[in-house]
Amino acid sequence: MSEEPRAPFVVACPDCEVRTATDDPNETVAFYRRHRAVTGHDLAWERAEFDGADDLRPDADGTDGPGGGEAVLAAIVDDLEGTYGNGVPVGIVAAAMGARGVPMGETLERIRALRMRGALYEPRDDHLASV
Amino acid sequence: MTRWNDGTDEVGTVSADITEETNALPARYFTDPEVHEMEKEAVFSRYWIYAGHANAVPEPGDFFTRTVGDRQVVVVRDRDGEVRAYYNVCAHRGSKMVDDTPMTEPGNMRRITCPYHLWTYDLDGTLASTPKSFEEASLNPDLEDDEVATLDPERNGLMEVHTDAIGPLVFVNFEDDPTPLAEQAGTMKAELEALPLEEYELARRYVSEVECNWKTFGGNYSECDHCQSNHRDWIEGIRLDESELEVNDYHWVLHYTHEEDVDDELRIHEEHEAKFYYLWPNFTVNMYGTADGYGTYLIEPIDEGRFQLVADYYFRDADLSEEEAEFVRTSRQLQEEDFELVERQYEGLRMGALGQAQLGPNEHTLHRFHRLAQEAYEAYEASDAPDAPDAPARS
Repeated sequence: MSEEPRAPFVVACPDCEVRTATDDPNETVAFYRRHRAVTGHDLAWERAEFDGADDLRPDADGTDGPGGGEAVLAAIVDDLEGTYGNGVPVGIVAAAMGARGVPMGETLERIRALRMRGALYEPRDDHLASV
Repeated sequence: MTRWNDGTDEVGTVSADITEETNALPARYFTDPEVHEMEKEAVFSRYWIYAGHANAVPEPGDFFTRTVGDRQVVVVRDRDGEVRAYYNVCAHRGSKMVDDTPMTEPGNMRRITCPYHLWTYDLDGTLASTPKSFEEASLNPDLEDDEVATLDPERNGLMEVHTDAIGPLVFVNFEDDPTPLAEQAGTMKAELEALPLEEYELARRYVSEVECNWKTFGGNYSECDHCQSNHRDWIEGIRLDESELEVNDYHWVLHYTHEEDVDDELRIHEEHEAKFYYLWPNFTVNMYGTADGYGTYLIEPIDEGRFQLVADYYFRDADLSEEEAEFVRTSRQLQEEDFELVERQYEGLRMGALGQAQLGPNEHTLHRFHRLAQEAYEAYEASDAPDAPDAPARS
């Protein structure tokens, strides 16, 4: 499939061998949703290059456990809010979590849990901000 | 003839008779976002659309979801063993009820429950129960408990979508009174139902996103003039000059003869050829000549410039032998080769230079495909649809 030269975001399905390369981080999430709906497969990150990646606190190191993963996710949103006005794209958050070994589906579940608890909100669709 | 967008040529309809003229469907019907929106109603709401395989839901309560255009249905096996489909919409206030559930990972539920206010439906779609808060009016000072109306289970049940099947292949239709699937599928239905399709299990599902209009890929599937130069590995064992392209009302069949006779045990069918069925608008059944199995393609639009190909492979046993796995890999390679071609074609179409392509003399299957698209647009326009874009002008 077509790939823009050195697209910053590349995700692939290890089972289907299908991948998408895009400039828009949220397109990776849309791709995941479509793919998940028909296959049940999760996706793996091949590449994620985004503004603010170097600003993420090193203590957001992916320590998991009950609530731990959500705390990491909330810290990522907190760290990146200064870089992305009007909400951090959910694809950026997924990429940052992917770098810590968290699959896209699990990241979206954690985002939902945080939103339901009121720790995050969406200033616009598929963009996240801390409360 | 080819018609360019150079200010002098005007596009016309798809030729009525390909032996006289060779007009294809005008190019804008492949690239215009409005056409994509229109097709959700004109095409995908009016014809039988493949929903999935009955083998995926063997037990009562087994279900998966399927999204067609803007609509989503829950495909479920009821307690009588029938596969039925309901809009994934609660009769209370319209909430979507169950989460997206792929055919490859079907869920099971004793009843269908909406998480919003816990209205619960039996597998036959009737309303089974509501919480006490819908039977009493304790919070409403204007109403006594005994004045609360009892909800009729059937009249407050789920909205069912028409289903029909070719063997275990289940289709849905969103029309109020659809033309029978047997009419749309024609001889294809009887031919496929003569085969033991239900004895085969889903072994692989590959889903690919491709950057072109769904009709671009459908057209590519429907002809093999491109095979000699683009599918070098595949055509090695095929006698293209002895192959046949058969056209019917709503389906066409590509028959490919093998150069060498193939062992009968390698086929589900008796004919000594591979047979590839295309059923309008977006479904194919692939009867291979060199593997004891079959495949299906669902060519599912995402938007005007993208579709996803859902490629399913069915074999006697879902655990594939090495030979069968290699067969699927080869099929996958064929898909990748086609993706390159159709994306390249679509890049050309998007440039806007071409107003209307022309079809070759052996592209009569593709001609039928384009005619069906045009007829669907014209029928939609004739139905006084409020937002119908212009159908191709009569030439």
